[in-house]
Amino acid sequence: MSWFVLFAAKAMMPTSETLPGVSEMGIRTFVKTFLSETNWLTWLGVMGASILFMISPLITIGLPLPACLLTQKALDRHATKAATHRIYLFRQMIFLVKMVAGFCWGAHPTIRARFAMSPYTGDPGTWRFQ
Amino acid sequence: MSHFSYRKEGQTVELSADYVVVGSGAGGAAAAVKLARNGASVIVVEAGPWRDPKDYPTTSYGALRDLMDDWSSTVTRGRAIWPVVQAKTVGGTTVINSAICVRTPADIFEQWKREHDFGGEALAERVWAIQDRIEEDLSVSIVSTGALGHHNNIATAADQKLGYQGHLIKRYAKGCVGSGQCLQGCRDLKKQSTNVTYIPEVVRLGGTVLSCAPVRKVTFQGNRATGVEGTFRHPRTRKKGDAFFVQARKTVIIAASVTHTPVLLRRSGIKNRSLGEYFRAHPGSGVFGCYDDPVDMNTGATQAWASTRFRDTPGTKLETLSLPLEMVASRLAGGGQMLMGRLQEYRHFAHWIHACRANTPGRITTGFNGKPVVHYTLDKADMIRFRAGIQLVSKLHFSAGAKAIIPGIYGMPYKLSRDQLHLLDDAPLDPRAYVAVLSHLFGGCVMGGDPKRSVCDPQGRVRDRESLVVADASVLPTNLGVNPQHTIMALAMLRAEELLDAA
Repeated sequence: MSWFVLFAAKAMMPTSETLPGVSEMGIRTFVKTFLSETNWLTWLGVMGASILFMISPLITIGLPLPACLLTQKALDRHATKAATHRIYLFRQMIFLVKMVAGFCWGAHPTIRARFAMSPYTGDPGTWRFQ
Repeated sequence: MSHFSYRKEGQTVELSADYVVVGSGAGGAAAAVKLARNGASVIVVEAGPWRDPKDYPTTSYGALRDLMDDWSSTVTRGRAIWPVVQAKTVGGTTVINSAICVRTPADIFEQWKREHDFGGEALAERVWAIQDRIEEDLSVSIVSTGALGHHNNIATAADQKLGYQGHLIKRYAKGCVGSGQCLQGCRDLKKQSTNVTYIPEVVRLGGTVLSCAPVRKVTFQGNRATGVEGTFRHPRTRKKGDAFFVQARKTVIIAASVTHTPVLLRRSGIKNRSLGEYFRAHPGSGVFGCYDDPVDMNTGATQAWASTRFRDTPGTKLETLSLPLEMVASRLAGGGQMLMGRLQEYRHFAHWIHACRANTPGRITTGFNGKPVVHYTLDKADMIRFRAGIQLVSKLHFSAGAKAIIPGIYGMPYKLSRDQLHLLDDAPLDPRAYVAVLSHLFGGCVMGGDPKRSVCDPQGRVRDRESLVVADASVLPTNLGVNPQHTIMALAMLRAEELLDAA
């Protein structure tokens, strides 16, 4: 199932001429971690949004194909249209995919260095036991 | 033992104290420390884990996972889906806010007197006196020049040109170094959130803290509240641990937050028509300014400039607020190559916000999973206020030298130049066109003199029950129009004083 999220995240933040995309920033591991850690509601939202992204090229760019069979150019058009779709719930769901992609991409040391920021020192995930 | 965290040893944890405080944020911690300082025995019961600054996350993802209430999945149910920002950790939302300290405005006490049969000058004097003491306790100070960062400096300069009468913000912070990490918790130990101030003091004074301990219900003997019960939850796996029962010999104080307090009281059998009603908030949204030179908003204090000049008319508060890159990635419109192109400009963005003093009442109900549901849709008058806030922030950006702004309004151009500013006059009044969050929350268990319109009496005591007091923002019957932490803390301390006097 995580493949759907991975695919949608990569389409949403692809490598551009000037910036590396999320596929070069460890998105595979990130998505796996995210899906295992998040609560069921967010899991459901992100998974639903990713599946929606896969099956919706017909309503965004008029092509009756799943997103994974689109050409790179058509996929990019689909990503843009999906994120700015006139149906509110549609674009809100796609927002969840962008959020996951953004969390991975924006926190990566390579990207932070590109924007003159020092790397994050990590999320220990610890708490007081005693 | 002074701290009980998640445990699964097959034994119910049973404790007792004079006062049991549910919640350790601004309200709960302030009430607890006041009681403990006066020699009372206190147990604080907090749903989230106790994280010290060394445990804080640094990324936004980590903040969502480790500090926010249920991954921040509480959103408004109405025309638009807007997230409701609340933390679930020892210290509550004081851990993740920008520690902004604003005294309760005088007109609020007058409004309470006029509309809710309590308040007035006498209450104002008492609250302000307590706020004086809190400011000393928590080292409240204005952000130092060295910690401002460029994005706050240009806002200040622009304000002087426009006459917004803004100011550098007073915050519960001691020697802020401008690391720009307020929203993820201050690892530099500068922010004086209650998990590093009042709660440790309660423990030093002999109090006890239960963390990872969501309360299922308040227990009663007849009408008298006798304690709280629940089950420890693992903060990561959410697995159930041991049960706990905490007996209150004198009073149970509820400060579980605006969304959770009404749900907890309802689950505990409180029946009152006003329970969950009169919810209000500051829905806010941001406008990016695009500048020729790098702004690097990630450096400097997260929030250091504000203007309250427009609090009454049109009804909004303006502030600077830096956003981390990973949040900006999802905040900008578009996807694919278009989004990547837009992100290229990050260093040149400054992000400033408006928080709308909305009058529209909402409602808190209980969802099928027992979690709070926030029903909230701004009416037309509030949407006009909301739009006016965006216009004011946009003007500030242009005054600061922005070459364009990104208003983030669906159906409008991605960027607007100064010449296109008038387009905002006709920006849609449909809440779905905006990306907003609800940060400051009020109501749900409001206090007042009229039993038909309030859950609590003017002393925060739940009507028709004994020994049960509410001491968080859910008692506030009106929208303050300013950051509420100082008011919540002062009223909670006042509640504690009243309990001590009565005892």
